Formats: sequence, C-alpha cells, structure tokens
Amino acid sequence: MKQRRNKAIFITLFLIPACLCFLMFYAYPILQIVVTSFCKWDYTNLSSPQFYGVGELLTNYKYIFTEYPYFWEALKNSLCWALVGVVIQVPLTLVVAIVLSKGLRFSKFARNVYIVPSVISSAAMGLIFLQLYNARYGPIQQIIQKFSPDFTDSILLMEGINFWAIVFAYVFFCGTTTIMLLGQIHSIAPELYEAGKIDGAKGLKRELYITIPLVMPTIKTVATLAATSGFLLYNEVFFLTNGAAGTKSITYIIRELAITSSRTQYARANTIGVVQIVIGLLLVAVINFAFSEKKIKNRGGEKA
Amino acid sequence: MIGKRKIKNSNPMSVQKGEAVFAYIVMAVICVIALFPIVWVVMSSFKEDLLANPGFALPDNIYLGGYIKVFTQLGITRYFANSFICATLGTILSMTAFSMAAYVVARYQFKGRGIITACIMATMFVPPAALTFPVYNLIKNAGLFNTRMGLIFIYTCYEIAVSFMVIRNYFATIPEELEEAARIDGCNYLQIFLKIMLPIARPGIFTAAVLHWLKLWNEFYWASLIIVDREKMTVPAILSQFTTSFQTDYNGLLSAIVVIVIPPILLFTFSSKFFVEALSGGAVKG
Repeated sequence: MKQRRNKAIFITLFLIPACLCFLMFYAYPILQIVVTSFCKWDYTNLSSPQFYGVGELLTNYKYIFTEYPYFWEALKNSLCWALVGVVIQVPLTLVVAIVLSKGLRFSKFARNVYIVPSVISSAAMGLIFLQLYNARYGPIQQIIQKFSPDFTDSILLMEGINFWAIVFAYVFFCGTTTIMLLGQIHSIAPELYEAGKIDGAKGLKRELYITIPLVMPTIKTVATLAATSGFLLYNEVFFLTNGAAGTKSITYIIRELAITSSRTQYARANTIGVVQIVIGLLLVAVINFAFSEKKIKNRGGEKA
Repeated sequence: MIGKRKIKNSNPMSVQKGEAVFAYIVMAVICVIALFPIVWVVMSSFKEDLLANPGFALPDNIYLGGYIKVFTQLGITRYFANSFICATLGTILSMTAFSMAAYVVARYQFKGRGIITACIMATMFVPPAALTFPVYNLIKNAGLFNTRMGLIFIYTCYEIAVSFMVIRNYFATIPEELEEAARIDGCNYLQIFLKIMLPIARPGIFTAAVLHWLKLWNEFYWASLIIVDREKMTVPAILSQFTTSFQTDYNGLLSAIVVIVIPPILLFTFSSKFFVEALSGGAVKG
C-alpha cells in the first residue's frame, strides 16, 4: 500500500516540471489565441478583451480573409516557401547523404564543410545574404551586370524576384537533415546490399531499390521539416526585405500585428495564429499522405 | 559513443568510377555553396573601401580597421556570453524537466500516460509564432520582459517534443532487469533514477542536449522579441541592430559579421564529432 502511494507520488513529482512547461507555454497560449480570436482586443482595450456579439463572432476571421491587405500575400508566400522547401531540399538532402555515405576520400571533409552554414544562425546567414545582394557592392549584382550592364536596381525590391532571393538564402543549407539521413543510411545492414548485388542492383538501382525505400521514414521527416520551416519562414524575410515588396510571411504578419505595429491588433494576430496552426497541421497531413509507406510499398510492388 | 560497433557498409571498393566522379562533383558543389557566402564576407571585410572595389574584386591590401573597431567599440564578447548563458541554462533546465518526464513515461504504467505523451508530442505541430502574443504577454506579466531570465524560461520550454522523444526512446531501450535488481537491493524510486537509469541514459540525453543547445544558440525570433536592452542581447538578436547601427560603415559591418560567425565555426570544427554523432543518432562517427 505504502509502496504504491510512494510510486504515485514519485511519478507525479517527476511529471510536474514538464507538465508546467506544457501548460504555460502551449496549452494556455493555444486556448488564449482560440478564445480571443472571437474577441475585440487591440491597442484600445489591452486589459479587457471583449467577445463579439453572437451574430458577429467571426468578425476577426472575416476581417483577415476579406479586408486585411497582407493576409493572402503572406499565405501565398508561406505556402510557396513550404513547397519550394520540399521540392528542392528533399532531393538535395537525399543525393548529398547518399554521396557522403560512400565513404570516399574527402567525404568527411565535405560533410563537415556542409554543416557549417547550419551551425551559424539563420539570422547571421540572412545578414550575409543581405550583403551578397547589395546593389552597390554585392557580388550577385556584379553577375547580373555582366548580362545587363545598366542594371542598378536592388533585386530585393523587385517583386517576384525577391521571393527567390529569399529562397536562395536558406534552401541549400540543409546540413543537419543531411546528417540525420546519413545516419539512417549508415544503419542499413550491409547484408541487404550484398543480397542486392547478387540480384544485380548496382549503381543507381541499388539506391532506388534498397537505400531509398529503407530510409523512407527519415525522408518523410526531412520533408516535414522542410515544409514547416518554409511555411514558418521569418528570419530571412526580416533581414532581407523586412516584408517589403510583396515578401511578407504568415509569421511576419503575426508579429507585426501583435508587437511591431503602432496600432497593435492582438485578437487579429491571434486569429492568424489559429489559421497558421490549422494550415500547418494540414501541411503535415498532406506530407504524411504523400510519403505514406503503404503507397511506396505498392509502387515497389508494381515495379517488381 | 553508444557502444555500438561501427557498421561499415560503405566499402569504397564497390563504388564504380562513374559514381565516384558524380560523387566528387556533388561534394565540390556543396562545399562551394556552403563556403561561398562566408569566404566572400571574410574577403570583403579586408577592403577599406568596399564601394571602390565591389563584388568579386580582391582587396588591394589587408585593412584591419574594421576589426579593431569591432573589438574596441562593439564589445562583442558580451553578446557571446549572453548567448552562452541563455542557451546553456535553457538546455540544462529543459533536459532536467524532460528527462524526468521521459523516464517516467518510458518505464512506468499509470493513468494519463497516453494523454501526457500525446500532449507533449503534439507541441511539435504548434508553430511558436502562432503563440507570439500570449507568450509575450505571459513573460511581460511575470515581470520577465527584457530579462535574460525570461528568455531562458522560454528556451526551457522551446521545442520540447524532440527532446522528449529522443530521451524517452533511449530510456525505453534499457533492460528492465536493471531496475528490478536495484529495487531488490533496496533502492527507492529516486535512487533508481539517479544512480542507475540516469547514468545509463547519458548518451541519449547528451544527443538531445546538443540538438537543443544548437537550436537555442541560433534562436532569433524570441531573442529579438523579449530583449530590448542592447547589453542583454544574444548574438542572433544583436545582428538585427547591425543594419541600422553601421549605416554606411560597410567595413565595420562586414568585420562584425565575421567576428560573430567565426567562433561557432571554430567551435564546430573542434567538436564536429559530437555534433555529427548527435545528429545522426550515433550512427555516423565524427
């Protein structure tokens, strides 16, 4: 009896710190953004958020979707960054990880060099790319001027082009996910490759039929990370364009509405937060579906 | 690290010539991609007048004025100290809280175990930015706005799902007999955790800690939101001040970037073994 009570006390005590973390930084804020998304709450009534009337509960959502000028721009950008992230980073990570797994000379060196940009913060990377894109002394400008000598504009202010300028500031630096994948490739049993060799799986076939199917769960993780980091992009936007010329992201407008703006709109920032969570979950679901193991197995079966 | 034998499935002999050529091209390309931005900034930081020889032009002579200014005027060491304190304390607190929870969840059956696991794992899908205002408000109401304590508080609860998962999975691999034996020897629950399980789970906790620390060291969003005073800022946060504080002093700006970027690179160069092993779950040796 005493033993059992001791155990219960022990378990409870050990769970308290983690549960406090969860309640304070996740449960309570989530509850707050959901509830206040139905309230009027801005710089005029900071201390007393007020529910909208019964017929007008969705006022904030309506405002965000139909009136707020930057929502659709931000949503489009964030979704495109997510898509670009998956389309470029997944194949890139896979190719680099497979190449590095061969254990060729210099591959350890190349691996360590490739992680370097991931070790320095994306804030520093953003600031460095701001210099690279500089219209007066940046090397990128020089390359463009090779082709059109009269070009003097800043590419960061050119709508459409600046989207890609931001993409190139982060999309190739996936050292950490490459190492995750590399670890997974290293843990494939050598016997499988031996068996594959007998069946004639060499070169590209070996990777397509043995390596890739076996590391599929990690590829799914890489895809999820690429999509979510693209969808939540903020640092690069802040440093490169600060949201100018059509480059706002969802995170950017949340922060602007909640903190930076001179007429802060807490409830509306929280409303966009709710939308961000929902769309983020949908993204994860889509990726889970696209990379689901059942589908992969079927595809393998058809080919065999 | 984990005591696993190094599995060598990458016999260089089995790589065909065409594959090797392709592999070296890929390796060369990733090295260029990774190094170009940094090399350019270092090179340009030696130019006294960046506008006189812009872009790819090599510096006329090595000008160190920018670096002298960075060390005499900017007081860069302070920001490194702030970053180090916030990242390290955040990591220690987070690892303490979540190794305790992960241990209990991995090794004991109790009511609510499923719900607690589900809740913590679900946080993986909650973008921190969505909670910007509530968390900002919470820190403000707790009187922790513009303090490093507030930032450490956020960092303790930052990205908890990954740490929890990594540590829980490690605890789950430890054989049950060890606990049984300790219990028969008269250890109480706390003693079993502290004296038996925690030492065995060290590699798992270490992996989680390295990952967490690296994330915090580079964290910008909250650092730039919670801290307002310059002297309390972390390294990523101070970078946002650079664009305005240097205005037209390009040489000073580039030198400052180099000084900010080099220490983590050096640190990584000497400890790449740990980072690589941690990231690959122990499968890749450094």
